[in-house]
Amino acid sequence: MTFSLKRSLAIFRKDYKDVSKNLYVSTTVLMPLILAAVYGRTGVETVEVYFLVFNLTFTMVAAYVQSALIAEEKEKNTLRGLMLSPATTAEILGGKSMLSFLGTLIVLVMCAFFMEYQPGNLLIISVASLISIVFYIGIGTLIGLLTRSVMEASVAILPVAFFFSFVPLVKPFMDEYPILKAVNFFPNLQLIELANQIETGAGWGDSWSAILIILGWTVVITSFVVAVYNRKMVDH
Amino acid sequence: MENIIEVKNAAKLFGNETALNDVSFHVKKGETFGFLGPSGSGKTTTIKILTAQLRQTSGDAYVFGVPTERLKENKYRKKIGVLTDNSGLYSRLSIYENLKLFCDLYDVPPMRIDEVLAMVQLQNEHKKIVSKLSKGMLQRVTLARAFLHKPELLFLDEPTSALDPVNSRHIYKGLEKLKSEGTTIFLTTHDMDEAETLCDRVAFLNKGSIQLLDQPKRLRKQFSNGTIRVELMDGREIYLDRGPDGAEELYEYMSAGMVESANSNEPTLGDIFVEVTGRKLS
Repeated sequence: MTFSLKRSLAIFRKDYKDVSKNLYVSTTVLMPLILAAVYGRTGVETVEVYFLVFNLTFTMVAAYVQSALIAEEKEKNTLRGLMLSPATTAEILGGKSMLSFLGTLIVLVMCAFFMEYQPGNLLIISVASLISIVFYIGIGTLIGLLTRSVMEASVAILPVAFFFSFVPLVKPFMDEYPILKAVNFFPNLQLIELANQIETGAGWGDSWSAILIILGWTVVITSFVVAVYNRKMVDH
Repeated sequence: MENIIEVKNAAKLFGNETALNDVSFHVKKGETFGFLGPSGSGKTTTIKILTAQLRQTSGDAYVFGVPTERLKENKYRKKIGVLTDNSGLYSRLSIYENLKLFCDLYDVPPMRIDEVLAMVQLQNEHKKIVSKLSKGMLQRVTLARAFLHKPELLFLDEPTSALDPVNSRHIYKGLEKLKSEGTTIFLTTHDMDEAETLCDRVAFLNKGSIQLLDQPKRLRKQFSNGTIRVELMDGREIYLDRGPDGAEELYEYMSAGMVESANSNEPTLGDIFVEVTGRKLS
């Protein structure tokens, strides 16, 4: 399969112009920034609190904005125009993800700056976060493809956002309810686990399993996205 | 001449409902082919099959000599332009920004934007935001987008539906130019005047089946009742046989200076459609 960066960038440029005129979507990015600013003023003492804001960024910026971008294309029948063009699946999905990717990255950095987050190993946490962004964009793309309008996507994203933002709060109950230990393998908890480990001096050797688990989730969700997208290319 | 489209015994079922039933036809290179029928007759279904947006339940459909499933390949996408009933334009962006996106997707130089906008008489409207356009202007931009990349084959689904005659004429001019450049056009419409103006051949589609297929001129001739309609100065309207008797009678009226007008009494495509299918077009 060929990949034309020119085509993907054209879709990215279009999305940038489009979203900059769409207050409904563009103001969503303010939510984690406001929370980060508040925590920055009051002071953050645990990794869990930093990652409450970071996970909110993943769900509200990466997943929600992406779902809205895709759902709006479906709602206004513009996605079919892209599908009928010479752009390949990778070029379209790549182009459609660039804005959410860059937006999430910028908001994450700003949140970290506001909360004065200084990780024990910047490189490890950056790699894990970049893979996580792709995972959440995959979730957003999937929701966008499976819903018919921005409004539907906005509703569908709520349980997902709630789940990924607040599931770390179940940790204290894991001893009492062992079944809850399964959530330890979720990418958001793996990221928090990784962040805690690097604060105690862990290096690459101790981090690979968490990164691989996050990567595994990302591969699975990306495969789903491609399968659903290809199915949506043809009416049934 | 080479067939650009070839459909053999195609059928499409949606559940128990038959949208297309044993449809066969071909479209030659450079031809403008009209698929005529009322709403729900299967026109859009046919376009969707021919552009790989839908798979037929049975039968075969080939475009550029390959099965339609292969049209997803980049090299075929570049050869095809599609105009559907949905504009597919980005409403918050300007006309130029919309067309620039598709220039980049189809590897077309941006200077082509001026050419296509001139073809649809919108050369001075680059900066207009799509959401602010009238229905007619929107349709013209959609058409400009469909032939931005000079497709070899253009699918037009009801290109002038709900447009006023002035806007329709702009569209016709653009299509005539494309045809003169060798573009093959597959057009669906329920507007018989449009079909007569643009199409080399037409097929009448009714309830998913092709009822008739030929050149508009030949169809009119085939369904003509062989009379001439004469309007006399005193307001009467008479019908004369086209044979020697009718000619003699017409000569007498003309000699007496009684003829206001005389023309062949051929049916319109709309008349023929009603006669063949028993249904009106709109």
